[in-house]
Amino acid sequence: MWYEIFKFELQYRKNRPATYIYFIILFLLAFGAMSSDVVQIGGGSGLVKENAPVTIATMMVILSAVMMMITSAITGVAVLRDFEHKTESLMFTNPITKGDYLFGRFLGALLIALLIFTGVPLGFMLGEFMPWRDADKLLPFNFWNYLQPYFFFVIPNVFFTGAIFFAVGSLSRKTIVIYTQWVLLFVFYQVGLILTRDVENRDLAALFDPFAVRTIDITTQYWTVSEQNTQVVPLESIPLYNRLIWVTVGIVTLIITYFGFSFNVVRNTFFKKKAQEVKRTKSNADIPIPTTGIYLNLAANIKQLFTQIKFYFSSVLKDIPFLGIVFCGIAILCINSIYMGRVFGTNTFPTTYLILEQIQGFNLFFLIIIVFYSGELIWKERDVKMNLIFDAMPVPDFVNLVSKFFGLIFTYIVIIIVLIFTGIAIQTIKGYYHYELGLYLSRTFSSTFPFLILFTLLAFFVQVMVNQKFVGHAVMISFFIITAVLETAGIEHGLLQFGSGSLGTYSDMNGYGHFPIAFSWFNIYWLGFSILLFVIAVIFSVRGSEAIMKTRWKIGKLRLSKPLLTLGIFCFLTFGLSGCYIYYNTNVLNEYNNSEAIEKSQADYEKNLKKFEYLTQPKIVDVNLQIDLHPKTRDYVAEGYFLLANKSDQAISDIHLQLNVDKQFNMEYLAFETGSTITKSFEDYKYYIHQLSSPLQPDDTVKMTFKQSFTTKGFVESGSNTNVVFNGTFFNSNHFPSLGYNNGFELVDDNDRKDYDLPPKQRLAERDDERELVNGILGDDGDQINFEVLISTDTGQIALAPGYLQKDWVEDNRHFFHYKMDKPMFNFYSILSADYEVMRDTWKPEHDSLGGLVNLEIYYHKGHEFNLDRMMNAMKLSFDYFSKNFSPYQYNQMRILEFPRYATFAQSFANTVPFSEGIGFMLEIDDEDDVDVAFYVTAHELAHQWWAHQVMAANVQGSQVIIESLSQYSALMVMKQVYSEEKIQQFLKEELQRYLSGRSTETKREMPLATVENQQYIHYGKGAVNFYALQDYIGEDSINVALSRFIKDWNIFDGQPIKGRFPTTIDLLGYIRKVTPDSLQYVVTDLFEKIVLYENKIDKAEYVEITKDKYQVQMTVASKKLVADSLGIETSIALNDWIDIGIYGEGSMEKDTLLYLKKHFIDTETQTFTIEVSDIPKKVGIDPIHKLIDRNPKDNIKTVTAKADL
Amino acid sequence: MELKITNLSKTYANGVQALKNVTLNIGSGMFGLLGPNGAGKSSLMRTIATLQEPDSGNITFDNLDVLTQKEEIRKILGYLPQEFGVYPKISAEVLLDHLAVLKGITKNKERKELVKALLHKTNLYDARKKNLGGYSGGMKQRFGIAQALLSNPKLIIVDEPTAGLDPAERNRFHNLLSELGENTVVILSTHIVDDVKELCTNMAIINKGEVLLEGNPLKAIDEIAGRVWRKTIEKTELESYRNQYTVITEKMIAGKPLIHVFSENQPDNSFQAVEADLEDVYFSYIFGKKAVQAA
Repeated sequence: MWYEIFKFELQYRKNRPATYIYFIILFLLAFGAMSSDVVQIGGGSGLVKENAPVTIATMMVILSAVMMMITSAITGVAVLRDFEHKTESLMFTNPITKGDYLFGRFLGALLIALLIFTGVPLGFMLGEFMPWRDADKLLPFNFWNYLQPYFFFVIPNVFFTGAIFFAVGSLSRKTIVIYTQWVLLFVFYQVGLILTRDVENRDLAALFDPFAVRTIDITTQYWTVSEQNTQVVPLESIPLYNRLIWVTVGIVTLIITYFGFSFNVVRNTFFKKKAQEVKRTKSNADIPIPTTGIYLNLAANIKQLFTQIKFYFSSVLKDIPFLGIVFCGIAILCINSIYMGRVFGTNTFPTTYLILEQIQGFNLFFLIIIVFYSGELIWKERDVKMNLIFDAMPVPDFVNLVSKFFGLIFTYIVIIIVLIFTGIAIQTIKGYYHYELGLYLSRTFSSTFPFLILFTLLAFFVQVMVNQKFVGHAVMISFFIITAVLETAGIEHGLLQFGSGSLGTYSDMNGYGHFPIAFSWFNIYWLGFSILLFVIAVIFSVRGSEAIMKTRWKIGKLRLSKPLLTLGIFCFLTFGLSGCYIYYNTNVLNEYNNSEAIEKSQADYEKNLKKFEYLTQPKIVDVNLQIDLHPKTRDYVAEGYFLLANKSDQAISDIHLQLNVDKQFNMEYLAFETGSTITKSFEDYKYYIHQLSSPLQPDDTVKMTFKQSFTTKGFVESGSNTNVVFNGTFFNSNHFPSLGYNNGFELVDDNDRKDYDLPPKQRLAERDDERELVNGILGDDGDQINFEVLISTDTGQIALAPGYLQKDWVEDNRHFFHYKMDKPMFNFYSILSADYEVMRDTWKPEHDSLGGLVNLEIYYHKGHEFNLDRMMNAMKLSFDYFSKNFSPYQYNQMRILEFPRYATFAQSFANTVPFSEGIGFMLEIDDEDDVDVAFYVTAHELAHQWWAHQVMAANVQGSQVIIESLSQYSALMVMKQVYSEEKIQQFLKEELQRYLSGRSTETKREMPLATVENQQYIHYGKGAVNFYALQDYIGEDSINVALSRFIKDWNIFDGQPIKGRFPTTIDLLGYIRKVTPDSLQYVVTDLFEKIVLYENKIDKAEYVEITKDKYQVQMTVASKKLVADSLGIETSIALNDWIDIGIYGEGSMEKDTLLYLKKHFIDTETQTFTIEVSDIPKKVGIDPIHKLIDRNPKDNIKTVTAKADL
Repeated sequence: MELKITNLSKTYANGVQALKNVTLNIGSGMFGLLGPNGAGKSSLMRTIATLQEPDSGNITFDNLDVLTQKEEIRKILGYLPQEFGVYPKISAEVLLDHLAVLKGITKNKERKELVKALLHKTNLYDARKKNLGGYSGGMKQRFGIAQALLSNPKLIIVDEPTAGLDPAERNRFHNLLSELGENTVVILSTHIVDDVKELCTNMAIINKGEVLLEGNPLKAIDEIAGRVWRKTIEKTELESYRNQYTVITEKMIAGKPLIHVFSENQPDNSFQAVEADLEDVYFSYIFGKKAVQAA
């Protein structure tokens, strides 16, 4: 019998158009993702192919999670349909059993849902075969890669969600539940994802993620490129348990449904409703019906409108799913705020702008509310079949939609107010009382609110036109996906991306800056468009019982009243004219290029000019500029000269100049003192070849004078410059003319390069490449320049540049600052200007041989005083350590300069460190728990005064070890002076994580540390970890001796002549090896020249008490040492290593105390140690401090169990 | 005051022709629209109530074109659809008040009085605070009637209003409708002949989208007076009687079929003359139209 019911369900679905619509939607999304270059949904990166098994599986599970409303629409109504159509009595009186009925229906619906979801793999597969796909980005077709995830991930997902939806639909017998349940499940899922985001909960998240999105993510997180390309996500351990858990949940749900489902038409409810007894008073039927006036004028219409708005507003506000969504959103806001603005595990003060960024995270919930409740409200009357009564009311046509729209808008306002109160509560709880109510209101109502209005109008339009609630939801979700896909396909101009205005980053220093103007125009533009859509929706909205488009248009024509038509035309004009104005600003006044155009011009640049790369050019030896900054208009004019010297041994007649290509720059004049003619210009790239009237002889110099203006005109489409701003200007020497070909403009991504027939890019030259050994990493324009600059800015701002202030004065309402550097520096300088407060101090070296007094200054934004003392202290301690251990500091001043949080870094220029508002100034450092990031960043940047400004690295592989890894090491050593071992471990844990996750998203090949090719995860992450290990093995003092020798030999700014080249890691490792004993030479090799990973683990640990202060610990350790090649293929190699063995005892304050820590020689995979300690042991560990790189550091430590006898 | 329906036709997208050239002139007073389920009554009523578009034809109400001046018509319209739901979590009083605002009764005091009066009239006053979700079918129907009477409509369209009402409620409803002033056009659709008999001064019989008869019920009865005969027969005989005579109704009385046949003269002595009533008219038109016309 169940089979008949099963067949009936299939038959029913076969005839429903929705079945096919859902399939087509899934198919097209999958096809679009795979056939275009934009595998957006799950995303393969770099060397991971776009149809790699892991990528396919990820995309499949994400689609099955996002599109679960389809499952809800199919399985949720399987039984409910009978109640809906009142056919339940017919069904239940038939001679069928409850089991047949329920499971027949469920299996039928499930099969249909599964068939619909085959659209995903089928779409992918077809997409893969499209002729325009680039075979290099794909693996050969492999059916198993699609079948496996469909079977192991999609089917369980659909089964378990289907079971839940089926249960809820059958047991509740309410249609509304079908519409709401997927929204709620989706919301809960999002909440779950956010809650388990923390590293600590990763395994838990992987185990319990119902859709297995995180499961796949976490299982494959450290997979190397080759693993990701060749292996399917294995159905074992965590993925297997995850699948079993959720299939079990599905089965249990079905069992509950079976027992909970009442096969009666009228149910016994658990809660006997008290029969509502109505008191019978005599009702007066003879009462005359009073005559009332009907006042259908404008005032009445307005009253009708408000009554309806109030009605819809309160109906949404009282809706349980709505409250659920809002509650979840607020919960997430609160939870997120715990980890808000975390930098290296350190909190940032809960400033209003940060809270607002968290509130922006609520936008996802707003979108859910928009998609869902626009459908609910449009269908409000029809869902309860009251539409005909309402439709016959003498209410103007627009009132219906307009009141629903405003009803929703008012709920948004309530949510926004609730969010603001939540934000203020969070600030209060965190003890931060600087509430900026104006900022709260201005941000939410100028940014969030228009976003809500635009998308609500759009959703109303879609719901009205589609006229099917579920399809409307699907269309809206597809709209979001398609918009994202189009963006990556080159349709990225704000005029084509719905709701594109962005208010940009808020900064305490610069407020909203210049962003509001472009933002407002884009909003006006899209508002015009959306209201126009809304007008169309009003015309086509269904009133009465006609749903056919043709008839709707016929009725709609009658609605084209004068005011409506006027509004429509007005919106159209607003849309059109603001569009023209925006276009004029973005594409005429300024230059607009989509990413593809930019890529093409990069490729052309390389093809045309690469031949000039190693042309001998003079070096800049003097820079002398006057720069007039106009922060209010975001303009400046720079005028002055560069002195160019021929340091080669042959005459130079052609000087190649690269000017800034941005349209905002204008070179008003540029002349060589000896005269020159331009013999060739590449106008597209602003590359000009000047032939000097008389060639520049070796050791001769020529003066190049120029005047360059930078003008801000109107506004740009996106990526407006945040360098020259109202308050907090910060730009550097790359604004000015440079010499010769700049390989920094080349296309980087090999896939992109292939599209333009360019060979794969060599990231850095090899360490013996003589052409690059003569270049430092900061460019080849000038290695030792004399720098002098006169900057004028608005009064009220302080302008800064490297060098020492010679004089400052005010003239004509302009503040002039004259800076001059007393010794040569690299051709690398920055110009800053802002309204600063200044904190001053001095550092005095321990004795005179280490240099003179150094003036320390921090230029900061008023209100950002929190961490100034920490920075000041870090400067002093750094100078102490570096001058003592490396070499004396070369300047007598150090300045930290705050700049707006448009970028979050700190950067070291000669005696100058611009430091972002976003990374150090606003940190709330808890000395108990946190790493002092302000201290660390300061120490790191100061270290660059040595590692970059004393020793420059050659522009070859490994260069960043000399610049960045050594600065990491230096900062760590300073931190070690003041902070505990735990803090250092905490810091290194983050760095290890950075390295491990970085290598799994490598786009080319992983390099050993010594030949790193500008790979941040290696030179920062692995650099810090490995240098820490190195100093642990061979000693901090030995390394410092090596480093001080290295500086002594290679310092180019202490008056020594340049050696003819810059140092490489070969040189550096030479110094290090010299201080390393023979037995540990292998450590240097492993840390720097190979990619080595360990798998260390304690297998067994026991102890016996011998006497009260003598305990014997016996442990079995397992060790494995692996060497990875550049693609991550690992091979096990023999162990001959010294590894830490540690034993911890019970300490005070719940912290363990170290009882024993010593390096032991390990040369077999398992080894047993017996060690005596003097206190009760608690835990033992192999490499317990994680000095070695180990992907699973948790099993390095194990609790010891007591045993009577060994 | 006159509602004029001229040559109204409507075919649905699925091919069903709901209205075929319907022409009716309806003056003030009660007008009954009689027809079996699926006859096109509701389609016609929805079209008059501005909620549906005909393919062709016109409807005017006095000087108003119903098909284009929808807004004007809605101001004077009271409409009770055949099937309707209510918001379950709102009380009758609140929803009626809400609807009254939409009707244009924006003066609070007047509206309060009106809502109160209508709740009394429809015997819902005691249950006015109760959520509509807890209403019985009859109570819901009465609520529907109450809302149709808001704002003293000039044109009242009630689609199957008595369906689901018990006899007492039906009476009450009949009284209510008959009280409505003479200056009102009331169109009542029903498949219950008695409704029309008791209430309507004019009526039309409609089947399969076509108007079969239009006129005064009494006159219609007069037209067939003396031509309807009845006889109690055995079940087995039914088939042969059907073939032999124009059988217009068949009822079971004490287990035996009682048939009414239409005939100019007494078919034979076993048939007795019946005093024809509206039901005979109705069924003779529905089942025996040809016979009647032939006669």
